[in-house]
Amino acid sequence: MPPEGGSALCRTDFEPEVIVVTKHLLKFRVNEKDYAVTVDSYDRLIDVLRDKLGLKGTKEGCGTGDCGTCAVIMNGKLVNSCLVLAMQARESSITTVEGIGGEEVLHPLQETFIQSGASQCGYCIPGMLVTAKHLLDTNPRASEEEIKLAISGVLCRCTGYTKIVKAIKDAQSRVAY
Amino acid sequence: MKINNHGGYVEKQMKFDLYIPENFEALLKYLAANGKDAVFVAGGSDLMPRIKRRLVKPKLLVDLSSLRELDYVKQEDGCIRIGALATISELSESTVLSRQYEAFRQVAARYGGPAIRNIATIGGNVAAAASSEDLIPVLLALDATIHTTSARGTQARPLREFLVGKRRTSLSPDELITEISFRALNGNSWCTFEKVGRRNSLIIALVSLAVCMEIESDIMKVNDIRVAFNRFRGRIPERAIGLETALRGRSLNEETIAEGVRVLDSELALTSDYRASSEYRVEAAKACLRKAVVHCAEQISSLK
Repeated sequence: MPPEGGSALCRTDFEPEVIVVTKHLLKFRVNEKDYAVTVDSYDRLIDVLRDKLGLKGTKEGCGTGDCGTCAVIMNGKLVNSCLVLAMQARESSITTVEGIGGEEVLHPLQETFIQSGASQCGYCIPGMLVTAKHLLDTNPRASEEEIKLAISGVLCRCTGYTKIVKAIKDAQSRVAY
Repeated sequence: MKINNHGGYVEKQMKFDLYIPENFEALLKYLAANGKDAVFVAGGSDLMPRIKRRLVKPKLLVDLSSLRELDYVKQEDGCIRIGALATISELSESTVLSRQYEAFRQVAARYGGPAIRNIATIGGNVAAAASSEDLIPVLLALDATIHTTSARGTQARPLREFLVGKRRTSLSPDELITEISFRALNGNSWCTFEKVGRRNSLIIALVSLAVCMEIESDIMKVNDIRVAFNRFRGRIPERAIGLETALRGRSLNEETIAEGVRVLDSELALTSDYRASSEYRVEAAKACLRKAVVHCAEQISSLK
């Protein structure tokens, strides 16, 4: 047994007892493509997106719904993919950051994020882009206040948010909605 | 071995089994047989972080997300009835919850972020039975009733009896919360919510409270008042009955409000923790009470 007060990283008592875990067949649509993939009961949406579909754009910043960088659009609503169980996404339509723009042609949001210097370490950017895309889809003429409220669920430690807000505003004027 | 609430990062994923009910009836049958081991997951915004932090280690989760018949907000026979799966977003956008139920929109404005609000449910708030669940003070102030169903039938219990202790309710293992209801407010009433936290978003309440008040606004007489705090004398949400008694039937003015604040001061028993001291929480609670009561009175006057 590790001594009292040891860091959680050196603890060895977290091995869960062996339990029977069902596998499920998850059928859903991601970035306009249909998938049928076998998942474990305890897989979260983010685990399936990253590890089974290979879509590494969605990041796990905290795993507790506190940072927002794992945000994806599910059936038209913004959700934290670290909180949604994979099987809760059955029959749903998901958009990840990979579904915004393409490798040949960037989405206006991606262009303005680059031009504004809105990305520093980059870790919040998937959540910010997905959130911004969702905002432009649902409220294209959002005011600056509404933009700030829209991104209030994604934490950024680098930029102070000003360049991100500017990038979204710049994209608004570029996008013909 | 002690581990603090936000324990160290643990690499291994928690493993659990998952039951996905085909329909409501199948779920009730399943619970009658397996309720003891089952942990419900609706939105997951409370449960999943707790699993991640190893605060709970469930063996079996039961997914409620497909029971769409539990997602509604309606007014019927003078009662507002809300299905357990209604989300914070849906409550804040509901036209059934008119202006007077401002508390629901105020809760939403400070509740996590947009993505959390889209999955967090009212049933989940009630089942979590913790002072972090912002809807609970609002529902206590509205004197809400919790409706549950099991294979044995249905039950209706007042929320204040339903909450038994910190993260403990009187739910049996085979029981499911299906609906939360409360009497509709009349034309002289308003329900408001205040929250103090270190940030505007993505933050737990240090102090939160809901006030539900009925006033005869021409003479500023308090016909009825209900006040609930996220923490009052312990670590769960409670109604401040002594405070309510001090204000009920009185004329609302500077003097009576100040008296209410004094009564509150004498009744609050808040503890310090790593988030805030008890002194801070008490001062915040008093300020929030004053603000909420004044706001309610102003809004009720504007209803005329």
